[in-house]
Amino acid sequence: MPLSPKALNRRRFLALSASVGIGALAAPHLARAEEPVLNVTGWGGKWGDIMSSDIGPAFEKEFKCKLKTDTALPFLPKLQASSRSAPIYDVLHTNSNEQWAAVEMGLVEPKVDPRLVPNLADVYPYAVSDKIVGVSIFTSAIGLGMRTDKGYAGITSWKELWDAKYNGVRGGYVIPVNSLGQAFVMMCGTLFGKGESDLDAAYAALEKLKPIKLVDFTGAMEKLFLSGEVCLGVIHDSGIYRYEGQNQPIDFVTPAEGVLSLEQVLTITPGSKVKELANAYVNYMLRPEVQKRLAETVWYSPANKKVKLDAKYDAKLLTTPEKVSKLIQVDWKWYNAQKDEIDQRVNRIFRA
Amino acid sequence: MSPAAQHTPSQQLSRELAAAGSTSGTRNSANVQRRPSAARKRTRPGRVLYLAVNIAVLTFLLAPIAIVVVFALNPTPFIQFPPVGVSLRWFHKFFAARDFMHALGFSLEVAALTTSCATLLGGCAALAIARGNPPGARVVLAIMLSPLMLPAILTGLALFQTYVLLDVGRPLWGLVAGHTLVTIPYVVRTTLAVLHNFDLRLEEAARNLGASPSRTFFEVTLPLVKPGVLAGAIFAFIVSFDQFPVSLFLVSPGNETLPITLFNYLKFDLDGTIGAASVVSILLALLVVIALDRTVGLRAYVKL
Amino acid sequence: MSTAAARTNGLALFLLPSVLLFALFFFVPIGLMAVMSLLTGNPVVAPHVGFTARHYLRIINDPYYLEVIWTTIRIGLWTTLVSLLIGYPLAHWMARIRSRAGHAALLMAVLAPMLTGIVVRTFAWMALLSDTGVINQTLISLGLVIRPVQLMYNETGIVIGLVHIYVPFMVLTLTGVIGRIDERLEQAAENLGASPLRSFLEVTLPLSLPGILAGSLLVFALSISAYVTPILLGGFQVMTLPILIYQQISANFNIGFAAALGMVLLLVSLILIVAYNRVLGLVSGQHDLQ
Repeated sequence: MPLSPKALNRRRFLALSASVGIGALAAPHLARAEEPVLNVTGWGGKWGDIMSSDIGPAFEKEFKCKLKTDTALPFLPKLQASSRSAPIYDVLHTNSNEQWAAVEMGLVEPKVDPRLVPNLADVYPYAVSDKIVGVSIFTSAIGLGMRTDKGYAGITSWKELWDAKYNGVRGGYVIPVNSLGQAFVMMCGTLFGKGESDLDAAYAALEKLKPIKLVDFTGAMEKLFLSGEVCLGVIHDSGIYRYEGQNQPIDFVTPAEGVLSLEQVLTITPGSKVKELANAYVNYMLRPEVQKRLAETVWYSPANKKVKLDAKYDAKLLTTPEKVSKLIQVDWKWYNAQKDEIDQRVNRIFRA
Repeated sequence: MSPAAQHTPSQQLSRELAAAGSTSGTRNSANVQRRPSAARKRTRPGRVLYLAVNIAVLTFLLAPIAIVVVFALNPTPFIQFPPVGVSLRWFHKFFAARDFMHALGFSLEVAALTTSCATLLGGCAALAIARGNPPGARVVLAIMLSPLMLPAILTGLALFQTYVLLDVGRPLWGLVAGHTLVTIPYVVRTTLAVLHNFDLRLEEAARNLGASPSRTFFEVTLPLVKPGVLAGAIFAFIVSFDQFPVSLFLVSPGNETLPITLFNYLKFDLDGTIGAASVVSILLALLVVIALDRTVGLRAYVKL
Repeated sequence: MSTAAARTNGLALFLLPSVLLFALFFFVPIGLMAVMSLLTGNPVVAPHVGFTARHYLRIINDPYYLEVIWTTIRIGLWTTLVSLLIGYPLAHWMARIRSRAGHAALLMAVLAPMLTGIVVRTFAWMALLSDTGVINQTLISLGLVIRPVQLMYNETGIVIGLVHIYVPFMVLTLTGVIGRIDERLEQAAENLGASPLRSFLEVTLPLSLPGILAGSLLVFALSISAYVTPILLGGFQVMTLPILIYQQISANFNIGFAAALGMVLLLVSLILIVAYNRVLGLVSGQHDLQ
């Protein structure tokens, strides 16, 4: 039966009043309506802990606002389904591949305005290169992780992963959903073919990589390393280094062919009602003291050149122009355009 | 069934009410007491096999819980067997973590609201289908059970899109509505099961004795339907508390249900905290079940 | 004899609240999904969208998707069968046990797995089945195997995990039906000379058929919609429809295709319900869904 406009309005009114009633029940802090609210996304785990205990509250205090962080992945479908004029996020924090997809869908602004975010002047070139939309606030190096108690010696190349002796303890990612997995596909093209866009060579290489244990998120890969399920696998340096001091038999290997860049990227949504605050947040996250705090908690390499990390972090992370120039930034725009086809192929390759 | 006729209507009614009022479950135990020693004649090997199979099944059901408890107490921050020790650090972490405690409370709240709505709506619907003879009753029933058939993730996404279209955001009532949708089928099933086994002659008897239709309804039908409704309510509560795919899209930042918080936590940290969360959930729920059993007597009620 | 026979009466109005709920929160959203599966884009955000059958054509034309559908159904069937086989004895015991404390204990044993939560339960199975998990460590330390046995990262692990989650549903469905079987019928059979086994096979089992079919239907429907368990215990290398749907939504942002896949899953479920109902009607002679 067709719904008349009156019926729809009545239902909306009922729904709204019910919402108000139950909302009053559920969220006492709803009443703080005077303060502007900034909706951002963020990771959980150690990042989430430090953001909610230190950095978030400090931002809220300084800018007199309320910071709401969504940590329930996935972010992009939710942003995609929300209306353009009232997006559910003001600032989107995710990896570079997703940011490119977001730009293609018109969900985020491609560039950040240096006038509104002055700290942009102090970042390394990779953070605002043409391979990046928005701005990268941190990066990590994607390479190989290994167990140090299995007697593996002299691992220097990506190609080591294909050696049969790692059958049963090799680790990788679910390519359709994970940016390390996707970057790895392009690395396979470079290693065995004509370059990162040589997909045929990549597919052939991936076929030979089985048997392999796949996970969808780096946190899970870290645990597989710790428990010994995986002894050699693809992981970013942060995932290994964060266990420093815990006496875990794991180490990171920088392969000779180079490490791929895993950026933490911030963008602003065009429909955001608090653009000034959103820009302030991006600027805040690029402040040296904030960058230092976060980098030393989760072992990310800060994008701001002016950050001075403590010695033990400085030694392992990418904190000089020379070190960061070695990072390989892949062409996400190209990859996203092929993504459907690539996903179809790799889903077929990696079947039990 | 007891034969009719020789007794006065009131005697017959009280006999029938006594027989049915102790509900279909305990009727059997009454009969069993009169049973001859045929039960004892069950062959020993057969009995042993029967028990062995059941113990094996119980072990299968409870082993993972034992693992969870072990893991919750093992101080190592990843899956490790054999465990190295006993420590309460994960419990401390769980109780200290604002997010978990808030999520636990929020989950309980959502589950309570969902159970109320599902029980009310589902019970009414079952009653309507069984006694009201609406047109197309079978189709209506199939539709009411259909949320079970569609992958809940689609239900969640579809609801999220609809809320966006209506511009209401991700409110609590939206989440409760989604949960109610996926729990109503259980209430409908259990209530209908009781209604179908209902002896209609009880209602007839009441009316023969002069009770009005509404009095019959409130004093005969409703009390006898209670077991089915209660069983459905328990299911609704459990399913809502544990619900994942619908919640995935409908929770808003700061107001997450426990399964979502745990799943996100799992992405970053695979340590004993989720074991601790689980142990706490089990203990809480067992308390509820024990309390229900002591006060209301669950035996007859939990039958789908 | 029954007065509440075929006439629609006032009680039918009690359906209205549920009808409202379903109309608003189920049919409108699902209808939306069905429409989305036929559109080229999201009308809320994209300016010009047209109708297209390309999502469905993609599913029909590519044997991979048929394989995914079959994998989903296969896992569902195995889960249902195993749940039935191990759920029935327990349900029977629970229905026939005399002591109240015993019944309460069994009930709690059955409910406890449901109360742990799906995420944690799956994770517990990972702790049991993985290469460095409990079972493999025990087998290796006892010298029974040299290399770990692959108990997960395949369909076997998924079925084990799903069975564990859905057996309580099966047990609770069955125990009600078995409990309502008049024990005097079994007594009569035994008095007439049947062995306990024969009495079970020819009296109890046929009478519990409605429960078997109802429980199977429930477990099948739930297991083909499962997401968390197949993903974690299949090691991301077993692809079922719900996993593919989720992937399309979260990583390919292709809501249209995901909606089409969802409609396919719904269709499969509906076909099976109708088939089951037919069988139910034929075999047990009853005309109502239990």
